Amino acid sequence: MAVAVTGLGVVSPHGDDARAMFEALMRAESALRPVFPDLPKPAAAALAPFDAARWFTKLQLAGVDRVSQLAVAAADLALRDAGAGSGATGTAEPERIGVYAGCGMGGAAALEAAYRSGGRVPPLTIPAFMPNAPAAHVAMRHGVQGPVLTYSVACASSAVAIAEAAKAVERGEIDMAIAGGSEALIVPGVVLAWQAMQTLASFEPDDAARAVRPFAADRSGFALGEGSAFLILESAARAQARGARTYAHLAGWGTSTDATHLTKPDAPGQARALRAALRMAGLAPRDVGYCNAHGTATRIGDVVERDALATVWGDALDALRVSSTKALHGHLLGAAGAIEAVATVLALDQRRLPPNAHCDAIDPACALNLVRESGSAAPALNAAISNSFAFGGTNSVLLFTRP
Amino acid sequence: MSSLKELQDLIQEKFDIDPSTLDPQASMREKGLDSLALVEFLFAVEDKFGISISDEHSNVDNLADLAAVVDKLRAAKAVPAAPAT
Repeated sequence: MAVAVTGLGVVSPHGDDARAMFEALMRAESALRPVFPDLPKPAAAALAPFDAARWFTKLQLAGVDRVSQLAVAAADLALRDAGAGSGATGTAEPERIGVYAGCGMGGAAALEAAYRSGGRVPPLTIPAFMPNAPAAHVAMRHGVQGPVLTYSVACASSAVAIAEAAKAVERGEIDMAIAGGSEALIVPGVVLAWQAMQTLASFEPDDAARAVRPFAADRSGFALGEGSAFLILESAARAQARGARTYAHLAGWGTSTDATHLTKPDAPGQARALRAALRMAGLAPRDVGYCNAHGTATRIGDVVERDALATVWGDALDALRVSSTKALHGHLLGAAGAIEAVATVLALDQRRLPPNAHCDAIDPACALNLVRESGSAAPALNAAISNSFAFGGTNSVLLFTRP
Repeated sequence: MSSLKELQDLIQEKFDIDPSTLDPQASMREKGLDSLALVEFLFAVEDKFGISISDEHSNVDNLADLAAVVDKLRAAKAVPAAPAT
């Protein structure tokens, strides 16, 4: 049973309109800006413009961290896009709908506020902080009474969530899934922790926008981004029956684990996830025309991802167009898989490929057919993948096809 | 001294609840302040008046009763405790 993607919703560093976000990516517009000038070391991040008042009264905001606010908004936009409604106006029974949400950290702002409170810790810090709060708030907003689950798998969280949602749809366990993720951890304490990890890009003071350069010879790491993205998944038969617009089918997914090192990526592990996704979709590597890469622009990560793709694609590697949109929206960690799935689905739907920005000179060790700065038309594109490879060694690949 | 007006101002500032729509004798829970929002409101009240509302008052459900509790605590704060003899 094919799984259809019938709705897209984002609250992203490029705004809360999925198509407008995709256009900004096509134009190679970077949302990265300097943040927290008071920190000892310069920091850049991509913040999502967001007006909570559009979704919440002040009373409703009691104990609701930004990470949940973004999730509620993005999920609501996805449901509206799908024309699926909710509650009494919904097209599915409440207990036949599920929420599958990725979240790497939880309510970082709530925790930071608690640290800084001087002992007067806000009483709702715990419910604001807990990583499953975003999924629970989405469920309460729309009266979702089926499985409401949170996946915390670092950078693969929301890709895994989408795959798990698709499984539930495929098994007929639910009729509709609200699947994606949310992350909002651009607070000084967390940025300091990431700086200490030595994986963030260094940059000149006036060049924060170009700080992230995936696969480039001069790359130096990633920058954090925040936001949320959700996809509406339902069976292709149900989508057709209710006359829903279908953007794409989620035709395959692969999940694997390196089991070698907590933070060091592993090409054989990634290759296993890539092969699993192809196998499930019944496709050969040459059938896939685009890869939205994990591409974090770390020295080691990009080479390992290239090696994994080269292993699986072999002679067909040159025909695979590749870009990492993290150069433009930063690394959304637990929401990365979801926002990049949205970009991949729209690339497939519009047969246009967003660029791999800021790569003036490709690293020879990352030899890939990158989509250059201006983006590219892809008139023959029929299948595309989105890669998410996590700290912890979990690898997730989503494979979408045109309906 | 009644803290009622200040409490009404605070609940408007914090939760956008217009005093004219919230009868001081009416249940705040029925007005939409669930237990979580009420906990946050009491925290804000403590902050504003520099008082500590003990658990025995945690069931206070309307603004008039809350104002009475706050009045008492503020009065106690204003008068220094009698020295132990």
